[in-house]
Parts: sequence; structure tokens; C-alpha cells
Amino acid sequence: MNKAPASHANHLNANPMKEHGFIDFLVITGGFLLITPILSVHRVTDFMIFCIFVMSFDLMYGYMGRLSFGHLLFLGTGAYGSGLFIRYISGNPLLAILAGIAVAGLLGMLLGLIIVRTTGACFALINLAFNHIGFFLVLSPLRQITRGEDGFGVSASTLGFLNFSSRPIMFGFVLFCLLLVFYLLKRLTSSPFGIMLRSIKEDETRVRFLGYNTFLYKWLNFALAGSLAGLAGTLTALNYNYVNPNAMDVHSNVGVVFASLIGGAGTLYGALVGGVVYMVISNFLPIYIHRWEMFLGFSLLIITFRFRKGVWGYILSLWESGIKKRLLRRPTEEVANR
Amino acid sequence: MIYTIVYGFTIGAILYFISIGLSLTFGTMRVINFAHTLTYTMGVYALITLVALFKGYFALVATLSIIVVIPISYVIERFIIRRLYGESLDYTFIATFAISLIGVDAIKWIWGVNPYPMSDPIGKYLMFWGLSLPIYRILIVMIAILLFLALNSFFKKTIVGKIVVAALEDKDGVRCLGINVDKYFSIVFVLGSALAALGGVLYAPISSIHPYMGLSILLLSFAVVIVGGMGNLNGTFLSAFSLGMVMAITARYWSQGAETMVFIVMAIVLIFRPIDI
Amino acid sequence: MLEIKNLDVAYGHAKALHDISLNIETGQTAFLIGRNGAGKTTLLKTIIGLLKPLKGSITYQGNEITGLSPEEHYLKGLRYVAQEKKVFSNLTVRENIEIAAYASGEPVDMALDKITSIYPKLKDFLRTKAGQLSGGQRQILLVGRALVGEPKLLLIDEPTQGLAAIVIEEIVSILSGLRDKVSAVIVEQNLAMVNRLADRIYILKEGKVAREIVERSEISDTRGLEEYL
Repeated sequence: MNKAPASHANHLNANPMKEHGFIDFLVITGGFLLITPILSVHRVTDFMIFCIFVMSFDLMYGYMGRLSFGHLLFLGTGAYGSGLFIRYISGNPLLAILAGIAVAGLLGMLLGLIIVRTTGACFALINLAFNHIGFFLVLSPLRQITRGEDGFGVSASTLGFLNFSSRPIMFGFVLFCLLLVFYLLKRLTSSPFGIMLRSIKEDETRVRFLGYNTFLYKWLNFALAGSLAGLAGTLTALNYNYVNPNAMDVHSNVGVVFASLIGGAGTLYGALVGGVVYMVISNFLPIYIHRWEMFLGFSLLIITFRFRKGVWGYILSLWESGIKKRLLRRPTEEVANR
Repeated sequence: MIYTIVYGFTIGAILYFISIGLSLTFGTMRVINFAHTLTYTMGVYALITLVALFKGYFALVATLSIIVVIPISYVIERFIIRRLYGESLDYTFIATFAISLIGVDAIKWIWGVNPYPMSDPIGKYLMFWGLSLPIYRILIVMIAILLFLALNSFFKKTIVGKIVVAALEDKDGVRCLGINVDKYFSIVFVLGSALAALGGVLYAPISSIHPYMGLSILLLSFAVVIVGGMGNLNGTFLSAFSLGMVMAITARYWSQGAETMVFIVMAIVLIFRPIDI
Repeated sequence: MLEIKNLDVAYGHAKALHDISLNIETGQTAFLIGRNGAGKTTLLKTIIGLLKPLKGSITYQGNEITGLSPEEHYLKGLRYVAQEKKVFSNLTVRENIEIAAYASGEPVDMALDKITSIYPKLKDFLRTKAGQLSGGQRQILLVGRALVGEPKLLLIDEPTQGLAAIVIEEIVSILSGLRDKVSAVIVEQNLAMVNRLADRIYILKEGKVAREIVERSEISDTRGLEEYL
């Protein structure tokens, strides 16, 4: 009898990170493994890479409140960075991944110096401009190196058990990266850094008046978002064994914006849900609904006018208001009845 | 070289037609209308359909196409844009993008994806210092100049124009003087859309016609508006023609880089003069 | 004439006004004084309809006007002059008045005559772009704009802020001349002006009405009022 309240108290004091960390791991891994037999290993790998990209985008959009319409620039940079590394320097896949991330991160740091000073429409469009410029650069002036429109093949050498031409291994590695990114972002967003970002999103002037260097935080966030997008890019290159300018296509930005919205900006699970949903829609909907872009347009309208918090956000709010209350009633009753 | 200048001015004129509406909508409603060039595209497709019906009489067909587009833009304004007043940027961006997605797909549905060929309706050339310049292009530039003068009188001389100018600066102030500003902003929106359709209709015979044509020119129009200043009519005029020249000159030496150069200019302007929405 | 009962106004989650109640009779000039951030501008903006209250009511000439739009308030005779001395800078002085006359239905020339009779110097500036006017001239233009049509209640926010003494004197004399024809609620920090024009004073502190003063003797007690600024 006396043990019940003690363990209850322990539960309250336990580190929520540790508690939930393991659950997250199970849920995410389980979730992706579940859909794999339905689709295919290769498809789900695609989905997971996209989810990483959405998480990197959401870091800027959901947590910092800045909508970019050119985030694909960093994914493409990562893809080209690692691809060119393998092609001209070394086939070592891990080094290539690091190279891709490094190049994307560096670009993020450089461009961030200029871009992060802007906000709103300015921010969205200046990212768009640089994305466009990047696309053009790999298409035309740097054609000698990047092989322009045709792109080039990428074959990484095998490193121990990491043979990326094997689909299951690629799947496993991408899943590993996804979990890593998830964990990293989860820690980051609940850390003082994350709180700072959210405060800046809500009211930057106030934060600045409190003496904080908001520029620094925004800049770091931008560079980080760029690096993670670069990671997604390197994984794309390794997954397809191929890199071409489509990795930087400006028009594809709508996908990640849409995914972020559907999932609900500002939550990590939302990013994952949104990513998967968008991938499913864009891959399978055209088969069943001929006018899928129109359908997408209408859904976007409905979401912006009705479901601001996205599908995941909506589910969360249902949870908060209804189900959670009912579920939580039981333990307290137990304690009271003791 | 003269050709380059003429082509530059032609593109500048077309950009001007499209950017006016965008600039005014930015300035008045603080809404980034991603669907702005939908009217541009729709005007073109209306043109194609009507041209097939009324062979010849380009001017008549062009005017009809523009008129056809007006009710559609009114519907868009009434049901969607109006709900976006005061909304945060990302939602207006996404909602208007959704509209353009629907619109473009509708066009693909009705007219198909394949480009339509169309030729210069005048087809005559002006002999000038030993060069033959297409009259049609010169006509476009002249219409742009006329429009500029007309708009200037409208905003300087008519009371509606003055109300819009005042509201661009101090919307609350105008409201507190008893004027329902939103009604006038709607008029401005529809006017802007009609002008975009005008741009489309005039440019159609000398460009490629396909459902995505609006999207490519939209990005360029954004650049024009940013460089010229939102809600700044004279600025838009100057920047449209300047960027048109930039494109023409870049295209001469580096054919694929024309659009990119415009974005580079836009990025530079944004760096030194960030806008604040 | 103007009766406010239990008004609560908030900006998002931050409450700016708590349970405000006040009362102004026809023909009176009331002043709102208080420190910066006390809620004076918020109160004026709520009365004119630029802000919507969370709860409470505003009654004007016996009719409920809570939550109406600024345009509707204008038609009832309420006129708001904001704090920042914002004129339509790209338009001339004459055009500024034109716009003011538009909704009122009053002919522009009549409106101009009315205003130049109150402030003759404005006649010289009719063709000047409003943006080129000095602070004091702008303030007078703004008051002029508010007087077009048939104003019944003026809501003026810090008219003398940042102006030279001579100009303040001109504004005070203009407002003085309007005293019995138009009611007014004026936000001010300038106690000398308050002393000369006030029939009633409301002191706002942290979003609440701290004191209501209706006695002439108390209004003249400038020292006593200073502590509230």
C-alpha cells in the first residue's frame, strides 16, 4: 500500500527526456517498420529522408517562425557536396556525408549572415532568390564540375558493413539518422536555446530588450537548419546513387511547406506525420485522383482556414481536451482511495 | 544593340503591367498574392479560345479576354483574399499559393499541358536606321507608358485614387474619417488583376504559352515589386523597365542567366533595404 | 453623452484596461491623464472602434456603440485624432481636407472655409504637401480634418506632445473656441492646458481609473495632479 504513492512520486520526478526517449524510439521505428511491408523498403527510405528534411525546415518555420521558400537550396548543396566528394576525392561514404553536411552548414552560415536579418515576406523571397541562383549555378556555370542538367552518378564504397547499395542497409542507416536528428532536435528545442527561439518567434523585440543577442540565435538556428537539410541531401545522393539539379528545384519547396503545415508547425512528431502524409499524397494520389494538384490546393485552403495547427496539432488538441482528462483520472482516484 | 534595348523595354513593359497589381495589393492589404499571375495566365487562355472564335480582330479579342477575367478575380478577392487581411505572412502565402495550384490545374484540365503557338498579330516591322523593329513590341511599350500616365492621373486627380494613396500610408486614419477602405482595396485588387491579364494578353503572341507561364513570371514580378518598393507606383515603373533591361542585356551575353540576374539584383536590394512585413 | 461601463480591453493575453467606467456630459471637455502605458491611448482607440473590448459597454447619446467600426463611429459624430501626428503626407493640405469631407458629404470648399476661419494661417499652406508641414501645423491640420462635417465628440490623443510653446498656445485657443460646440475627450500630459480647458479629469493608472475629478478647485491643483504623471 505504501509503495504506490512513492512510485507515483518517482514518476513525477523522473527525467521526462529519458522516459519518453525510449518511447519515441519505439514509436518512430515501429511506425516506419509498419508501413514498409505495405509500400517498399526503397519508398519508405525516401519518406524518411524527406522527414529529416521537413524537420530541418520546421526548425526555422515552426520554432523560429520564419517561412523560407528556398530551403531546398541546402538539401541540394548537401547532395552535390557529398556527391562531388565521392566523385573527385574519396568514396568513403561517412566522410562524404560529413562533407555534404559541412558544405551545407557553411553555406547556411554565410548566407545566414545576410538572410537572418530579414523577416516575413523578405525572408521567404530572399531564400527563394538564393535557391534559384543555386539551381542556376549547378545547371550552367559550374557545368564542368556538376555535369549540368544530366547530373552524375554516385557510388560510395563499402565501409565495413555499410554497403549503401543494399536497400535494407540504406533503410537502417537512414532510420538511424532520423532517430539521431529527432533526438538532437528534441533536446535542442527543450533546452534554453529552444526556449530562446520560441521567445524570439513570439516577440523578438522583447527578447532583445532583455539584452539577448537575437541575431546570434537566429543565425545559429539557420545554419543548423541548413546543415540538417544538407544531411537529407547527402542521404538522397546515396540513396539514388545519383545527383542532378532536381535536388535543388525551387518548385519542390511547396512540398516541404505543405508537409510542415499538414503535420503542424512546431512539433517534431508533426513534422514526421506531415512528411509521411505528404509523401503518400504526392506519390499515390496522382494514381487515383487525376486532378491531384487541385485536390492539394483545396486541402491547403481548408487547412489554412480551419486546421491551423495541422492534422497532428488537431489530434493533439483533441488529446489535450478530451481523452487525456479521462485517462488521467484513474491514477489520482487510486491515490485518493488509498 | 538596339534590338536588345527594344526587347528589354518590351519585357519591362510586361513586367510593369503585372507588377502594378502586385505592388498595390502588397501595399494596401499587406497580402502577398501568390495567385496574382493566375489572372495573367487565365487572360492568355481566354485569349487563345476567343482568337479561335473570332479570327483576327486581335484588339477586340484582347479586350474581351481581360473582361472575362475580372469576375474571376473578384471571386478570389471576395472569398479568399479578404479573409487574409491582417493574417500572418505564411498563411497568405500558402492560401494564395493554393489558389494558384487549383487554377493552374484547372487550366491544365481544360486546355491541356501542351504549349500553344501564337504569332505576332501585327507582324509588321518599322524600318529605323537600317534596322527592322517589330511594331508590336513598340506598341506594347507605348501602351505601358500610356498606362503609367493614366495611373498617375488616377491616383493624383481622382478622389478614389487619393483615398487609396492616403490609405496606403495610414489606413486607420482613413477609416476614422468614415471611409470604408476595404471596399476600395477590392477595387484596386480587381484593377491590378485586370492589368496582369493585360500583360498576359499582350505578351502571349511573343512568348510561349503553357499552364505554368504564370509561375515563372510571378517570381520576376516579385523581384520588380521589391526593387521598386511596395505600393510605390513610380518605383514599380522604374524597376520594371530597369529589370527588363537587365534581363535583355544578360540574355545577350549569357542566355540562361537572365532570370537569375534579376534575382541577384533583388537579393542585393533586400540586403541593403530589407522590407518589413 | 458618453458613458463607459466596466470596460476590459486586452492586447492578446495582456490586459491593458481593467473595469473602466467614466462619464462625459454633452459640451464638456474631459481629460485623461496618467503615466505612459497607463492605457489612455488604448481607451481612446477602443472608443473609436480600432480595438474591441473583452467586456463592458460604451454608450453614446443613449445608444450602445461598443464594438462598432471606426467608419460607423464617424457617421455618429465621433472623431479620433491619433497620437503620432500622422497626416496623409503625399497629399496636399487641401487634399487632406478633401478626404475628410468625402464621407461627411460636406462640400470641400465649405469645409475649407470652416477650418481657415478657425485657423487662418492654414490658407497659405493649402497647396503644400502635408508631409512638409511642421509638427504644430500637422496637429492643426489633424484637428481641422476632425472638424469637417458635424463632429459631436472629439477624441484627441496628446495634441501638444513635442510642440513649441507658441504652437501649444494656438492649439489651446482653438480648442477653447470649440468648447461649447463640441464635446471632447483629450489625453494630455500638459497640465497647464488641462487646467485651462478641463471640465472633468480622469486619472488612469495601470489600466484602471485611479481618480475622477469634477470639482473646479481640484482641477486647478496642478501640483497635486503632477504626481500622477
